[in-house]
Amino acid sequence: MESQQSVATLPRAGTRTRSPWTLDWLRQRVTTTPGRLTLVSVLVVAGAVLFGVIATTAERSRSQAAQAVRSQTEPLLVQAATLYSALGDAEATATTTFLTGGLEPPALRTRYRQDLLLASYSLAALTREVGGSSAAHAALVTITEQLPVYSGLIETARANNRQGFPVGAAYLRQAAGLLNGTILPQADLVYSAEAKRLSDNYATGTGDAALVVLALVIAAALGLLALTQLYVAHVSRRILNVPMLLATVVLIGVSIWAIVGLLGEQSALSRARSQGSDSVEVLSATRVMLSRAQGDESLTRVGRGSDETDPVDFARVINVLSPPSGLIGEIGVLARRTGTTSAADRLATKFAAFRSSPTTPSVANGLSDDLTRQIIAAQGRFKSAAADGTSSLSGLSVAIPLLTLLVAGLALIGLRQRLEEYR
Amino acid sequence: MRRIVGYVLAMAVVAAVLAGCGSSSDPAQRLALAALNTPAPQAHTSATGSPEPRCGDVTASLPPPAAMPSPGAMPAGSFMARIQRRGYLIAGVDQNTLLFAYFNPIDGQLEGFEIDILRQLTKAIFGNPNAIVFKALTTDERIPAVENGSVDIVADAVTITCSRRKEVDFSTVYYDAGQKLLVPTSSPIQTVDNLAGRRVCATIGSTSIQTLAQIAPRAIRYPVRQRTDCLVALQEGLVDAITSDDSILLGFKAQDPYTQIVGSSFAHEPYGMAIDKTHPDFVRFVNGVLAQMRTDGAWRAIYSHWLGKFSRTPAPPTAHYL
Repeated sequence: MESQQSVATLPRAGTRTRSPWTLDWLRQRVTTTPGRLTLVSVLVVAGAVLFGVIATTAERSRSQAAQAVRSQTEPLLVQAATLYSALGDAEATATTTFLTGGLEPPALRTRYRQDLLLASYSLAALTREVGGSSAAHAALVTITEQLPVYSGLIETARANNRQGFPVGAAYLRQAAGLLNGTILPQADLVYSAEAKRLSDNYATGTGDAALVVLALVIAAALGLLALTQLYVAHVSRRILNVPMLLATVVLIGVSIWAIVGLLGEQSALSRARSQGSDSVEVLSATRVMLSRAQGDESLTRVGRGSDETDPVDFARVINVLSPPSGLIGEIGVLARRTGTTSAADRLATKFAAFRSSPTTPSVANGLSDDLTRQIIAAQGRFKSAAADGTSSLSGLSVAIPLLTLLVAGLALIGLRQRLEEYR
Repeated sequence: MRRIVGYVLAMAVVAAVLAGCGSSSDPAQRLALAALNTPAPQAHTSATGSPEPRCGDVTASLPPPAAMPSPGAMPAGSFMARIQRRGYLIAGVDQNTLLFAYFNPIDGQLEGFEIDILRQLTKAIFGNPNAIVFKALTTDERIPAVENGSVDIVADAVTITCSRRKEVDFSTVYYDAGQKLLVPTSSPIQTVDNLAGRRVCATIGSTSIQTLAQIAPRAIRYPVRQRTDCLVALQEGLVDAITSDDSILLGFKAQDPYTQIVGSSFAHEPYGMAIDKTHPDFVRFVNGVLAQMRTDGAWRAIYSHWLGKFSRTPAPPTAHYL
């Protein structure tokens, strides 16, 4: 019956002169079974291609965000934090050195130089990696311009101090003014910009959008395959079409792989954040604020006869740091999450010691060094957690397009088998 | 077939639920950023003030007591007795004025002409010149520190003026200064008449900055909070000249051989020690100590020790009493 119908409609092909070619072609396809089968083949291929493109895009956006977190934004945030805290520590060290009186202790001089070195390295790394148009870039340019001026003022202060000239203290104040008024706000800007970028990457990397899109596309593709098989079964009266079934199996396989991979990476990224980079951020902020407190404290005594604003700022900064609601408290909260409570407790004890005797350089420096060690540890936790994500996604970006082609090919073979029956 | 569709739907639901579970830990970042944004201290500026009123003999002070108490035995009920009970004198000073009062970074001590005068006073109270705690003050903190009682006395290049005498009491003059100019050795500036359009540094809250506004109104004033900031500004090329008391300028010149003091003094700046108005007994006592130093050679010895290198030791400034 089917073949008769198709034969009967064949002469219609001669009507090409009266209507446009495409319409004619479509009419011929819609009205005959082989025509319909060809149309379905085209639809299946188009659907498969669309599935491949969308699924690959979703996977790509997800894995790019994750990749950016791993290899770009998180390391850059660490660099920005290093720049920020190294500058703050340099200033605190310079003023403390002055206060010790007499010949400067070599250990403090070394610390100051290492701080400047560290700041310069971070500055170079950040300038290399941060885009040329961003606000962070302008801030980096300002820091690059002002840092040599700052170190010049410090060296002038030193030369004057060595001769016992009180103008040395004035240079020190001037340097502090430049650092606190110009350089550190820019460092803060860089840090905030990088923190925002990291946050955005985390949002893309762990957000639902990619998964929802993927799930919808999988549902649509499976639905299309299922409908095609129902239709073919209907027209051919044969339930089983092996290539089509294989196509379905492959599609389900690639879908599971993609979803498991994406979920795996999502959880790896969430873990990298909660176990590592959250701690890095809070610890870095603590180190920066600690340097500021130290600098305030020293500058008040350098005296400078002086700016009553500094003790006020010192109190404000200590308030921002103090547990339970301050940064030290937050470190304790994060430590319970990451299982590093003993380190956090040690830190809290050291902070309490600093609070009661902020003028002892060894106490402040011990606290600062402990913070540095904890930042390194947190960064290690971030790296290992983030690395788990890479393995679960590896190969997926290549596999999705390739397997999608396989699905399309198998479906075509299956349809072609039926089409052959009309030749 | 239906099973597959069902599976896909279940999968989509599971995926959506799992995605929603991804714990957002933004709070940590927000807290860190908020902490970093703790506002930085702002420098505050103050006005240069209005012209000086007039008031008879500005340097006249209360006469010394008829008999000076001996060290360590201050009369009961006097302010000195309170200081003695406390165990130390609290004195407001500058710590950046070379030769007068400065923190010597080499030995970590405050040194200078004013420091030695204050130690003589301490010795007269306690018999020990070291029972003293110095409090560093900026120029514009000097008078308020006396008024609010955070220091017992201020010896910090305070010029006795009529307006300040309304706020605090002064001892007799312990040093006669004059306002002058300090310029780089290469500068064409010779007198105050050359200052039009030039940037001139002076300290906020000083008499120098008021006098500058009156005597050279066309000069561009560059106010700073602390005296030595002026020397930095000059060395960094931000100003063309510094105006201050010759005593202070002498200290600057000692720190920078490429500067010179030019012109004659264009304002007389008699220095007195500032004491709160509620302690006239202490003013008398301090005047007694100063009177002693004028006659027993102590004033001359201190002068020649700190300033002898720069000028011949003059006679001590004459005391005027009310």
